[in-house]
This record gives sequence, C-alpha cells and structure tokens, in this order.
Amino acid sequence: MATLELIGLTKKFAANNAAAVHDVNLNVGDGEFLCILGPSGCGKSTTLRMIGGFEEPTAGDVRIDGQSVVELPPNRRPTAMVFQKYTLWPHMRVFDNIAFGMRLHHVPKEHIDRDVKNALQMVGLSGYEQRYPSQLSGGEQQRVALARALVLQPKILLLDEPFSNLDALLRVRLREELHAIQRRIQITAIFVTHDQEEALSLADRIAVMNAGHLEQLDQPSQIYAYPKTLFVADFIGVMNIFNATRTGDSLRVGQYALKGATGVRGDSNLSIAVRPEDFTFGAPTDSHNSTEMWRGVIDQSIDLGHYRKVLVVVPGLFENETTALAHRLKVYMPKSADAKEGDSIALYPTRYLVYTDHTQPIEVRNQALRTSDETRRDDLSSVAVSSDALANSG
Amino acid sequence: MTRPYNRKKIFMATARALTAQPAPPAAAKRRDLSGLFGYVLIAPPVAIMLLLIFYPAIEAVIETIFVSDAQTGQTTLSLQNYIAFFQDPILRANLTFTVLVTLATVFMLFVVGYPLAMYLRFSKSRLAGTVQVLTLFPLFVPGVILAFALIRFLGTHGMFDTLLGIVGISGYRTPYLQPQGIVIALVWEHIPFTVLVLTAGLRQVEDAVIESARDVGASGWQIFTRILLPLTTRSALIVFCLNVIGVFGAFTLPYLLGPAQPMMMGVSMQQAFNNYQDRIGALTQAVLTFLICAAVGVLYVRTITRPRER
Ligand SMILES: Nc1ncnc2c1ncn2[C@@H]1O[C@H](COP(=O)(O)OP(=O)(O)O)[C@@H](O)[C@H]1O
Ligand SMILES: [Mg+2]
Repeated sequence: MATLELIGLTKKFAANNAAAVHDVNLNVGDGEFLCILGPSGCGKSTTLRMIGGFEEPTAGDVRIDGQSVVELPPNRRPTAMVFQKYTLWPHMRVFDNIAFGMRLHHVPKEHIDRDVKNALQMVGLSGYEQRYPSQLSGGEQQRVALARALVLQPKILLLDEPFSNLDALLRVRLREELHAIQRRIQITAIFVTHDQEEALSLADRIAVMNAGHLEQLDQPSQIYAYPKTLFVADFIGVMNIFNATRTGDSLRVGQYALKGATGVRGDSNLSIAVRPEDFTFGAPTDSHNSTEMWRGVIDQSIDLGHYRKVLVVVPGLFENETTALAHRLKVYMPKSADAKEGDSIALYPTRYLVYTDHTQPIEVRNQALRTSDETRRDDLSSVAVSSDALANSG
Repeated sequence: MTRPYNRKKIFMATARALTAQPAPPAAAKRRDLSGLFGYVLIAPPVAIMLLLIFYPAIEAVIETIFVSDAQTGQTTLSLQNYIAFFQDPILRANLTFTVLVTLATVFMLFVVGYPLAMYLRFSKSRLAGTVQVLTLFPLFVPGVILAFALIRFLGTHGMFDTLLGIVGISGYRTPYLQPQGIVIALVWEHIPFTVLVLTAGLRQVEDAVIESARDVGASGWQIFTRILLPLTTRSALIVFCLNVIGVFGAFTLPYLLGPAQPMMMGVSMQQAFNNYQDRIGALTQAVLTFLICAAVGVLYVRTITRPRER
C-alpha cells in the first residue's frame, strides 16, 4: 500500500514536436483506484510507463510514499505492470510465469509453491498451473498476468488497458473481479483506459487526459456533473454542445435566447453544454415563453429499456447546420413519454454549463420554464460551479 | 554400361545441388494448399527436384555401393569405396577439417549474428538503418571478389598488417591460407542471412513480453537467456541448419583462401575429380557430404514444419 505523486511529469519523444505528456501533477492516495482516461494517443500509456519505469521522464518527478523513484529501473520500483496483450511468456507454463519473478529473487521453493497457489486462487484459476499460455483464453491470460503482477506484492499496481482486447461481456466480468480483488487487498491501483464506462465503474477518481495534458482529476460523479473543460464535457457521457453569444446577462444560442446566466463575464463567444437528461418538455402548442422554448421534430426515438432516447432536429439551434445527422439534439425522456418519430416537440434545458475561454465553467439551473404547473417558480437561478468541486481537480 | 558423358553430368548435378543454397521452405508452406490446384502448383519444383537432385543422388549412391571387379567383371554390393575413404588419412583429415570449419563458422555466426540482430531489433538510434544495410552488404559481393578483397586486406603486408604497423604492433600472422581465413570469409558471406533470420525471430517477441520480465526483476542477461533465446529457438535452428548446409558444401572461398592441406570437402571433391581423375572417389565424397547435409536438412524441415504449439 502506498501513495503516489506525479510532479510536473513531462515526456517528449525525440521524434515528435509536441510533448506526449505535459506537466502532469497528481496525487493518488493509499489504496485508491485511479483511472487515467482519455482518447487514444493522449499520453495515458506514456504516463503509466513513466510510473513503472519503462519510460524516462523528460522532466518532473514520480514519488512513491514520498520517495522519488525516477532514477530506479522497473524492477527496483515497488510497482507491477499488467499490459494490454502478449503479457505472458509463451514458452513458460502458468506456474513458471507466476514463479519467474520469485525465482529471480531466490525465494525458497516452498514459498513459491504456496504463493503461486494463492495467486491463482485469487484470480479464480486454481488448477491451471501446468497449462501453457496458448492453452488459455484471452481472459484467462489476463488473469494470470494479474496474478503474476500481484504475487510479488507490489505497492502499486499498474494496468494498461488490460481488458481492451476482450469481448464486452468478459470485459465487464473481469472489471468487477479486479475491483473486488483491489478492494480486498487494498492495493493502490492506476488503471489506464480509453473506455469511459470502464473508468466510471472502476475508479475512485478519474484523471481525464487530452493531448498530453491532465484535463480534470475528480470523482466520477463530479466529472460527469461538472466537467471542467469543454473537452471533458464532450468526452465523458453524452453531451449537447452549442456555440452561444452573450449580450449582457442573456445568452443566445442560434435563434433562441437563454436567460439567466448572471455569472458569465468576459468573452462574448461561449459554449453551452447540456446533458440529455437535463431537459424539460412543453406542449408544442404552448405559447408560454415562446422565445425560450425550443421547437423541433423528433427524428428518431429509441427505446433503451429504462428510458427513451430521442434525437430532435431543432431548426436554427446549431450554427453550422451542414450535416443534419451531427446536429440533432440528444434528449433522454421517461420511458412513458409518448414520443414518436415525426412528432413535434417543445423543450428547454433546465440545467446547463457555460464554458468561456478563460474561466471555470458556470452552472446554470433554470426552473422558471417548467411548464408543468406545480413546480413553476419565478426565479432563474444561476449558480457558479462550487469552487470546492473544481478546486480539488487541480 | 559406360556412359562417361552422362556420368559426368550426373556428378556435376550432384555437386551443384550440394553447393547451392538449399531450396526455400516454399514446398513446406504449399502443403497447406488442398486439392488439385495445390498439386499443380508444387508439380514443377518437385519435378525439378526429382530430376536434378534425387535422381542423380540415388544414382550416385548406387554407383558407389555396387563395385564391379576389374578381372571378373562381376558387380557386387559393397561398402568398399567408403571403407577406402575412411582408410585414407588425408580424406579423413579433410572430412574432420570440414566438420570443424563448419562448426567454428556456425558458432562464430551466432556469436556475431545475435548481438547484431539484438541491436537491430532493439535500437532506436538512427544508426540502426545504416547497420542494417551494412549487414546486407555481403549479399551483393560475389565470393571471388570477396576472396581477393580479403587477401588484399588480411594478407601479409596487406592493409590490416600496415594499420597494425602504424600503431606499433608487429609480428602479424595472416589468416590467409590458414583455416581461420576460411572461417572469416564464410562468416562474412553468411552474416546477412543469419542476421535477417535472427532479427525476424526477435521481432516476433513483443515488447510487452520483455518489459514484463524487466518488471519482475530480470537483468539484461537473464532476459536474453530466459526469454529471448527460448523464444527464438526456431529461428536459431533455421540459421543453424541452413548455415551448416551452406558452409559444409562451400567451394569458392575454401578453394581460394584455405590451406593446401587439409582441405574442405568441396575442394577435396573437385581435386579428386579433376586432378586425380578419380570419378568414383569424388562420387563417394559427394555422397558422404550429401548424407551429412541431408541429415541436417531433415532437422531443418522438421523445424519449419513443426506447428508452433505455443
Ligand atoms: N516510443 C515512442 N516514440 C515516439 N513517440 C511515442 C512513443 N510512444 C508514444 N509516443 C507518442 O506519444 C503519444 C502518446 O502515446 P501513448 O502514451 O501511447 O498514448 P495512449 O496510451 O493514451 O494511447 C502519441 O502521440 C504517441 O505517438
Ligand atoms: Mg496506450
């Protein structure tokens, strides 16, 4: 068990101009499960490899339990890595794969036998000792790789997309097993993935990376509710993003007005982000607040079991309506909602985030337009995202 | 029964077959093809092999084991030619010498080839491209040219000797006309193939396989002996077999660079045939050489056709 600190961690490859990893700072607590999440090529693996000692940082420091380890080779760091694929040594049986490291460390044979047995039991593969890796399924191979990493009792477990080569069902199952093991032995774990669902379901906290930069470090719920940058807003979950202009306190999205963004200052060119579940609906014929109501036609209505996803074409909402498909509003409605393709619909965002170039995003909650009678209120509340929520992401 | 012209042709075909590089593993690969189309595809190479290798080889074997008595004219099955070969101390020395030169050359090829292949596999430096081209360079130099270049370079008062003189080292003894001369030249000649195959084998070992070993504490040497060597045995066996066959039957370089005595089998055969007009003697030597290479060839075929069970 251990803590991990990355301080100004930077990596530049000679071949590339831009840094693969740029000035990443973060702390990971004892026993914490941290996911590094980002699109392919954003520097996740490079960051992980610098923690494990496989890549030398251009600048910055890696500290484990307060001790700098940047000078140490991988085998002298208290870390163990599980790679994406080809991780097992194909010419060794499962037993020898797991025992290899202990043999190199001259661990007595009885200990090796016992530890290999325990490690295999932990990953649910007792009795597989004499198999060769080629006689294992992909999932079993990754379990053995996990057992092999854990058998040396590292302080920090590093995993680089360990399940991304497996089919979806198996991926979910192994993810749950890994989570249970991590909780049981309370090891600090850093898990790299490009799959947000994987990150959201595994992580205590998620570090979102983009183009070598750490964009946000937060708990999954915070990342979802308060994405700190437009990139995170777009990358995590489903989000509708519009360009907007500001005049005084009112915002304009296409031909529609959005009231109540009192906290917004600075740039007049802004971006607005709305989650699909943050809409309220009115009758299409409702004359109430007609300039604020967005009116459109349901293009597609998809029953997703516990809710309904509708794609709405709203004329005059998006700036460049060149490709209609890319510019449909994504909206979640209750399953009971009567929303057929071709129906007219009137809707309005009840909560949205405003992004400017320079400041933190501002959250706007807007309840005045609830047309359904009893919740009608007259105030428009504009709440800057609580500074706590954003401060701990730095 | 005397068909001198024909016999000579048979011998030459056998000798060519022995000195030439063995057929590529294409035949083995093509076995995967099923049906008539596959047979049509393999028919020409098989026909050529039967005609130019198996037929002359079998005829040579038959001719050397059936001895006709000069007086009675009676033909009997006898190993007399082979007994004569092994009773001749010079020929025995030639065979031993060939085996030793072959083993030394192949050993040196591994000693030089593995580090080069490792460098090409793992180096990220720009120099690697240049080294790659240099390792292929011998492919483009004909043996005769190489032999004379080596004589100029390594011979007494050659460039190497002169360079040593400049740095004050005297008493240089040239490998020219020594066994070492043959080994040096044959190593040079077989480096491209050796490095190509070993590099290909090493490239099949994934980075993650090596990095996991580093992660659990393997040193560079342990990674080489416990991971890389076992995972490249197939490539190493291919290199071993084809180099043994190629070196064992070498002619040009041993002829031009080696000592007068003992000599390698290729040279010995040529001498028996041309200088002593001892056709049966040359044929016996050819058959022995063929059998030794064929044994290694069987190992080679088994290596390349063995399924990768891992
Ligand atoms: N060994 C390397 N040499 C040069 N560039 C590299 C190397 N490894 C990674 N990169 C570059 O660094 C960037 C980040 O790569 P990586 O960390 O592997 O991304 P991710 O794991 O997030 O997909 C990419 O642009 C990649 O091309
Ligand atoms: Mg990666």
